Amino acid sequence: MFTEARRYFVERRVTDRIAETGATSFMNYFARLRSDLDGEVEKFINAFTVNETYFYREDYQLTCLTSDLLNERTRMKRPGEALRIWSIPCSTGEEPYSIAIWLLENWPQVDAHDVEIIGSDIDTNVLKEARTGIFGKRALMRLTPKLIDKYFVGAEPGRWQILDDLRQSVRFTAVNIVERSETRPLGAFDVIFCRNMLIYFDDSSRRVAAENLYENLSPGGYLCLGHTESMSRISPLFEVCRFPDAIVYRRPLEISHG
Amino acid sequence: MPLIKNTFHRPASSSPDPAAALTSVSPDERWAAARAAGDDPVNLAALAQVLARESDTRVREAIFTALARIATPESALAVLPYLRSDDANIRTGALDALRAMPEAVKAHLSQALADADADVRLLACDLIRNIRDEDAPRWLCEFLEIEHVANVCAAAVDVLAEIGDVQALPTLWRCAARFPNDPFLAFAIKVAADRLRANAPGSRV
Amino acid sequence: MAERKLRILIVDDASLVRHYYRQILEAKCFEVEEAMNGLEALEKLLVNAPDMLIVDVNMPQMDGITFLRTLRRQALPQSSIPALVISTEAGAQDIAAARAGGANFYLVKPLGWDVLTQYAAMFCGLPA
Ligand SMILES: C[S@@+](CC[C@H](N)C(=O)[O-])C[C@H]1O[C@@H](n2cnc3c(N)ncnc32)[C@H](O)[C@@H]1O
Repeated sequence: MFTEARRYFVERRVTDRIAETGATSFMNYFARLRSDLDGEVEKFINAFTVNETYFYREDYQLTCLTSDLLNERTRMKRPGEALRIWSIPCSTGEEPYSIAIWLLENWPQVDAHDVEIIGSDIDTNVLKEARTGIFGKRALMRLTPKLIDKYFVGAEPGRWQILDDLRQSVRFTAVNIVERSETRPLGAFDVIFCRNMLIYFDDSSRRVAAENLYENLSPGGYLCLGHTESMSRISPLFEVCRFPDAIVYRRPLEISHG
Repeated sequence: MPLIKNTFHRPASSSPDPAAALTSVSPDERWAAARAAGDDPVNLAALAQVLARESDTRVREAIFTALARIATPESALAVLPYLRSDDANIRTGALDALRAMPEAVKAHLSQALADADADVRLLACDLIRNIRDEDAPRWLCEFLEIEHVANVCAAAVDVLAEIGDVQALPTLWRCAARFPNDPFLAFAIKVAADRLRANAPGSRV
Repeated sequence: MAERKLRILIVDDASLVRHYYRQILEAKCFEVEEAMNGLEALEKLLVNAPDMLIVDVNMPQMDGITFLRTLRRQALPQSSIPALVISTEAGAQDIAAARAGGANFYLVKPLGWDVLTQYAAMFCGLPA
């Protein structure tokens, strides 16, 4: 069932849970899990949906977004049509908020366009945190003090909350990427960030996820994966595009049928 | 602030009956129908039928994915004939679909490995790579003992190097002895044997 | 003297095959890069253009013929890199499709050391 990388990942998580619960052995832990002692089943599931993330992670893609992708997309839009960006999985919100901040800071045309940003994740706990928007030092490690001052307010010692205005600029929704009934209602996006999730999926789920992402992109829309990920192992549906700052994927432009 | 506020909502669209739309003239409709059809195994026969005449690569991909999601021995059986296609693109599509349903493929493996067509046997070897079964290395070894086409053996050796263990070594040596004049096979067997020995429990920490 | 080494991109899903070609070509001072299938090859080409391609036919996600057709269709400097297709597929259909797709030569496996280096030298315009 597992590749080497995934096996290692699984082993580490199980060991973590065994240590956390004070179980004396794997068998002992397994018994706890079976009887769902102290709600262990849910904790076990949460341990497997890793959600460590931080602001401005893989920022070369954000550079690519504002130097190339958005300009390409706006050329294809009718005046007044909003640009739509999707961050899935968004985990605790660092990624979609990063996109919002990056646009305000680095995209000269930001005032000329409406931009809609949606963050989605399967895990409703992380979405709750994302909506609250309170972050610790670790999550902010790549932001300059100037940016933190500008977009956050101190919430408690060592923790900062993102400004209300920004908080209201990102919509968070629970979505399972392999459930078409959940992805389709979100409509077509210009750019999708889908980073550090598909690596954990099996072949069948990857294919389904890739097809869902394809449907959620406008023709010519762009898909950004994590820097260790490549569509070349997943699906031939997308074209690969090289921009100066990043390699991204694109849903081919096609002649509309009918 | 130009960023749109998060009160925005978009209505959900409804999905049409998949089996009927599979034969629509519009590729977009066929694509959507194929995707929806994968939700329910009752659509297997309809999917298998349209696969035979689908000419749009993107729609064909969606049909393959739908069959891979159904993932029964029957859906694997619907895909297997396409390994014989003259079109490399279709062979690849079929192979990827089969890779995505390893459990369903298992039921047909021995037959595919005994196929009269060497190309089919070669591709069947590759399918074993994804099958997580502790007996998989043994199937490959048994196969390797009797396979008489060097290229097919080479494909089996490539997979064995990845999923096998030192128990496969005698089979590998015998295979090398049977094809003394194939430089690639000799090389592949040597590298595979080195890898299997390096991965043996004794040589680990 | 200080010339850049000629670079060859090997596109094959079998790791032992890639390993084999690499050994042969590196022994003749070619620089070698590898891709597991046609899509990965397209990605690698865009980042760093090789002088020659060695391409298998049956590969996951994108087969060698579709890869060449896709590459040749694009308006890129990389689109005309010479390609040697090496496959176990000896069928007339595949050979014709590879030629039509833009393969410069088609060889059927297995092949020996000397064949590969001869073709590489010829493709890269070196004396064999
Ligand atoms: C490592 S985080 C990635 C966060 C962010 N994109 C990044 O790169 O930093 C992985 C996230 O994937 C989410 N996830 C896992 N399976 C999912 C699925 N089927 N649909 C949507 N989200 C999923 C987890 O809940 C987790 O928050």
